[in-house]
This record gives sequence, structure tokens and C-alpha cells, in this order.
Amino acid sequence: MFLTIHRTFKEAFKNFTRNGWLSIATVSILTMSLFVISVFFVVTLAVDNVLNGVQEKVNVSIYFKPDVSEEKIDEVKSALEKFEEIKSVDYISKEKALEDFKRNNATEPVILASLDEIGENPLLASLIVKAYDVNKYQLISEYVEKAEFSSDISRVNYGKNKDIIDKLNGFIAVTRKVGIGLGSLFTLISLLVTFNAIRITIYTHKSEIEIMRLVGASNMFIRLPFIFEGVLYGILSGMISMLILFTSIKLIAIYAPSISLVSSLMSIYLGNFWILFAGQVALGSLLGIIGSFIAMRKYLKV
Amino acid sequence: MTIKKNINIEEESKKTILCFDGICKVYKGDYPALDDINLVIREGEFVSIVGQSGSGKSTLLKLIYAEESATGGELYFNDELLNNLSKRKLPYHRRSIGTVFQDFKLLPKKNVYENVAYALEVSGVLQEEIVSDVPQILDIVGLSEKMRKYPHQLSGGEQQKVAIARALVHAPMVIIADEPTGNLDPKSSLEIIELLMKINSLGTTVILASHDKDIVDKVNRRVIRLDNGKIIVDCAKGKYKNS
Repeated sequence: MFLTIHRTFKEAFKNFTRNGWLSIATVSILTMSLFVISVFFVVTLAVDNVLNGVQEKVNVSIYFKPDVSEEKIDEVKSALEKFEEIKSVDYISKEKALEDFKRNNATEPVILASLDEIGENPLLASLIVKAYDVNKYQLISEYVEKAEFSSDISRVNYGKNKDIIDKLNGFIAVTRKVGIGLGSLFTLISLLVTFNAIRITIYTHKSEIEIMRLVGASNMFIRLPFIFEGVLYGILSGMISMLILFTSIKLIAIYAPSISLVSSLMSIYLGNFWILFAGQVALGSLLGIIGSFIAMRKYLKV
Repeated sequence: MTIKKNINIEEESKKTILCFDGICKVYKGDYPALDDINLVIREGEFVSIVGQSGSGKSTLLKLIYAEESATGGELYFNDELLNNLSKRKLPYHRRSIGTVFQDFKLLPKKNVYENVAYALEVSGVLQEEIVSDVPQILDIVGLSEKMRKYPHQLSGGEQQKVAIARALVHAPMVIIADEPTGNLDPKSSLEIIELLMKINSLGTTVILASHDKDIVDKVNRRVIRLDNGKIIVDCAKGKYKNS
């Protein structure tokens, strides 16, 4: 058994090097397929990252009238926290609000000066409500506006964010649908092309397979070199595809550093390096193995 | 007369290698390629099978190396029934038969040494044996000088010698040669036939299918003539013409 594996592996390696051009063609096609699939994977993750980031920033702020006591606000806070749709409720006191305001406008001396002019803290205490799902903000703001504590509320800023939130919701839904649709289409096309390339490779070995059978090679002995060759294609294509992907991300980062999507690409690439690499090698090898298995059935009469 | 009888007794005491018992072969939707073939071939024989194209020569040989299976009758090889040979047993059967074809059927990406060695590698022969056996066989066919050449660098006659070396390297019981000289010039043809005769004289049974009158006459051994899938002549020591 060890002898068979040793011999068939050697055979696969020789096949690979002696069929130079065909091997290069097959590896190129497989590389392109893997590249397309991995680009889809990385971009999906990047878009998801950006969308999550934006979603993170969306919230409903409830501003209380200046005379409402801290205890009262605390009651409202714990009332809101009971809803399972609500992820978090953060209390921003007047003082905290002023501090944030000053920090955010540190470079605007006019604003700071006018703040001093007023003399007292003009800002309101607020509760910042975040939901798990952007679709729920509408409900939350409606609830707040009708609640018994609504008389203590100065304003709810959901209305201001409503458009952004609605647009974002639409964008997320469309992006995911288009992404999944295009991704699956490209993946399918790449798989079919690769599969065919491997079938052609086997086809050129048709008469060789016939000869191998004539000299008494078992089907296993004939098959193993092709299977190893498929694995070899997979490993090589996976490595090349990873390299191209790395180069492309580097180049994009150099020429378009300002796009927020781009900045997350490299960290996604590095963060998922092994998953990406292993996935590509596995997919490449699997395609090689399945392709050669099916293509050979015909010539092995099994 | 008495001498001839003695020879016959001696021949018949030899082991039967192949026995065709009422063999028929019908390809799907076609006329019968072989029709009720009854034939016994013994160890050490050199049998020439002659007949026109389509007379069934190749089909007869294909049944022996189990590329096809009979649709009727029984075929025994070395006392084993070949009809419906299992997929698992087929490679082992092939290793007890050497095959030589008109188009040589060499692996184009392997050199002479590797082509011959491959036949041993597939049967799991140890590397040391391969290293010692292959050059010996190549020496017998006169190609030790060209061990590292690839098939396309050889003449037709030389390629056929490689094929014979490959057929021989297992030490098979039978060598089957299907028009081995079909693509060769007369000089190379003669060399190939002399090689087959030499192999036969060392004890291996040879079954040769040929169109070539000169070749069959040169061999001057048992001749079987097929016509429309039937044996019409089987003479123990014959020429192409009078068969």
C-alpha cells in the first residue's frame, strides 16, 4: 500500500511537470475561480463590517426637560431596559453632555466662546437607546412618545435620524441580496469552468489510461495519480490566489486609501488568512478530485 | 509416420492454456463477430491467426485479454473461466498476458525504461527487482543503448521492441500480438517476428494475428484462418496460402 502511494504520488508529480502547458492552464483557471470566490468572501465580510459599524452608530436619543430629576430618568431607563428588542440604554447627564460637546468642538473657538457667554449649561440630559435591529427604532420612538413619562420629555430625535435609518435598512437588504446573488453566480460559473478544465486534462490522458489498463494496472493505481494531481492543482492555485488577493488589497489600499471599505480589507485578509487559505486549497483539491473522478469513470468502465 | 505421432502425443500432453468452448460474440445490434469457436491452445505453441479484416481476429484476441467478454460459450484461461471476470480480478488477469499492438501503445511521456518499468510498478514489484529486471529485458530486445529515449525519438521497429519488452517483463504465460508488424517496414517486421520466435523458443506461448503472408510463412507453425467469425482452417504446421 505504501509502495502504491509512493509510486502514484511520484507519477502525479511527473505528470504535472511533463504536461507543462496543460498544468499551467488548469492551474490558471482554478486560480481565477478561487480568486473570484475569495474576493467575494472578503468583500462580503468588509461590507458587513461597514454596515455593522454604521448600524452601531444609529440610535434613538431621548432628551429630558431641564427640570426632570435624575431619579425620574433612572426610572425611565429601567423601564426601557425591560424590552427585549432594546440592546442598551445609556444615561448621558447634563455635565457629560457638556463635556462631550466641548470635546467635539475643541477646534471651534467661536462656539466655545459663545458657550461661555451663556454662563450656564444649556444642554439636556438624555438617554441613548440602541436596538438589536434597526427596524425596531420606529416602534421604540412611538412607544416613548405615547408613554406616561412623555410629559417629561423635551424631544426624541428619532425623526431626525429616520431617513438615514430607513435608507440604511434598504441599503443593507439590497446589498446582501445582490451580494449573495452575484456571489453564487460567479461561484457557480467558476466551478463549472474549473470542472471542465479538469475533464479536458483527463481527456488528454485517455489513451494513456487505456494502456495502463492493458498492462494490468488496477483502477486504484490509475486513479491515484490523477487524484494527487488534483490536490497539487488545488494547493498551488490556493497559494497563487492568496498572493494575488494580497497584492490587490495592497494596491487598492495605496490608490484608494480614503474609502472606508478599503481600510477594513487588509485586516479581514490577515484576520482570516488561514481560513481563506485552507478553504481555497480544500475547494481547489475537492474540485480536482471530483472532476477527475467523474471524467475517469468513462475510461475505466466502472 | 510414427515420429509424427510421437510429436502429437508430446504436444497433447502439454498443459492447456486457452480453451474456447463454443464461444460466440455478438456486438450490440450487429452481426456475430465470432460464431461457435472451439479451440484449444497449449503451452509453448506459436499460433498465427489469419483472415480478412472483420473476420473476427481482433475480437478473438480481445476475449483473451478480457477487453470484451463472450456472449455465448465458455472461455478458460489456465483452467479459470474468463466469462464475466470481476473488475477486481481483471488487472491480475492482464498481468499474466503480454500484449503487443500495431500502434505500439507506449506511454508517450515516459522514456523506454519507464515504459517497461511501469508494467512492473503497477503489480507492486519491489524497486530493486525493477532496477535489475528492466535492463535485462531491454538487453534481450536489443535496446539497452536507448533506455533513456522517449518513444517519439525511436523508429517504429524500435518502439515495437519496447512494447515487446514491456509485454515480456512480467514473464507472462501468453504473448498476444495483434498485427504487430502492421506499421513496420519489411526489415523491421522480420526483426519483430524473429524476436517473437525467440521468445516462443524460451517457452512462452505466442498468439499472433496477422495479414502478412511473408510473416506467417516465416513462422511456419500452427495457422488458424477465420472467416466471418468462424474457424475455417486449423492446421498444425502451415503456410498462409494453403491454410
